[in-house]
Amino acid sequence: MAQSKGKEDILRAIREAPLLSPNTSLLLQKTSEPDHDLQDVIRIVKFDSVLTARLLRIVNSAAFSTVHPITSVDRAVAYLGEKMVVGAALADSVSRLFLKPLSGYEGGRGELWRHDLFTALAAREIVRTSRSALSADLAFTGGLLHDIGKAILSDFLHDTSRVAVAGIENGELVDYLAAEQESAGLTHAEVGHELAKHWKLPASLQEVILHHHHPGQAGESVRALVYAVHLGDIVAMMAGCGTGSDTMQYHLDVGYERYFDLTPDALALVLVAVQEEFVKAEEAFALA
Amino acid sequence: MSDLILGVGDFAATRTAGIQVKTFALGSCVAVMLLDPATRTVGMVHVALPDSAINAQKSREKPGYFADTGIPALLNIMAGYGCTGNGRGMIVKLAGGASIMDDNETFNIGKRNQAAIKNILRAQGLEVVAEDLGENYSRTVSISVDTGQVTIFCPGRGQWHI
Ligand SMILES: [Fe+2]
Ligand SMILES: [Fe+2]
Repeated sequence: MAQSKGKEDILRAIREAPLLSPNTSLLLQKTSEPDHDLQDVIRIVKFDSVLTARLLRIVNSAAFSTVHPITSVDRAVAYLGEKMVVGAALADSVSRLFLKPLSGYEGGRGELWRHDLFTALAAREIVRTSRSALSADLAFTGGLLHDIGKAILSDFLHDTSRVAVAGIENGELVDYLAAEQESAGLTHAEVGHELAKHWKLPASLQEVILHHHHPGQAGESVRALVYAVHLGDIVAMMAGCGTGSDTMQYHLDVGYERYFDLTPDALALVLVAVQEEFVKAEEAFALA
Repeated sequence: MSDLILGVGDFAATRTAGIQVKTFALGSCVAVMLLDPATRTVGMVHVALPDSAINAQKSREKPGYFADTGIPALLNIMAGYGCTGNGRGMIVKLAGGASIMDDNETFNIGKRNQAAIKNILRAQGLEVVAEDLGENYSRTVSISVDTGQVTIFCPGRGQWHI
């Protein structure tokens, strides 16, 4: 009984969560279409003066030491690439969620954003080892959004982190999703999926959010993408970029081997590359 | 005096009384801590990967990133504090090297880090007096310059010492 009331409260919190800006929605929609190009992205950015200003600030920041200042939208977008544009739009649009302290996970302010950003960059690098064509930019966007459900669910977990960790350790709970289910009646993947539906995110991103801990359950057409984010998430946690008490408390879905040729050396190189990009990206977005 | 904070692949040594040398959320990384009783110097390196052979350029830019270049680099700066360059007489403590929940050849970086570090220490004739390694949780670690006590913290698990 108490749990179903809790569930109602969570669903209400999702409905009351901040919305994406219309241009951010449009950008996510457009960039999830397989045949879009950079011109589509530029067209959307041009209609958004806040995003334009933000991108010009990023491209001219110390993180990207360009020789001459860049003053046009076209050049800024071409220089930064799609991932930075989507990242900046999302960061501005829902920074309140990304930056929220995850008290239910004993996670501090900014930890969710750092984890999501690291996951996004890692998912992008993992795509390089893909056995078939896969959009690195879409994997990046999926990485940014995969754990957004924690921003909502955290408030409903209260002081459960000790019990959750102990339950996993003694084998009563299979992973942290089971702990969330036990404490709040919903997992962060389910909560994120509800939020994704509320935001009318593209179907592929909805699947990433719902299945990122069990990519094998995603539809075949998006499964490789979900695996990329799944692995990116694990790399982020291994690198110490987690979100608190749930860090490393999830299982690896080895079905990834069908989609990625990831040797131990390849994974080590992913880690090196991402750790370098992360420092730059964090500085460029300057969200904390 | 403020604490000395190390990022991934950083290494440092200090003799400043009253402070801690600290590194956040090790994950599969390992913090190698060296204490030299003779000079009261404490050093730490935050090792991310076992072997620099996969990226020689990175090991030149950030020797602390790899076990095989990080430990010599740490010993080297400690020699600048009057410690023996080969680490003789030093006390060694290790923390970190966590794994994911499933045993997996590709993802067992934490285990490979532990093995590489222990091999290097053994070859150097250095004995580990205390360690908190492996399992599947990410540790935040600090070591007191005054006492050499290591404090380990993990969200959901609290704090303990080695
Ligand atoms: Fe997750
Ligand atoms: Fe995650």
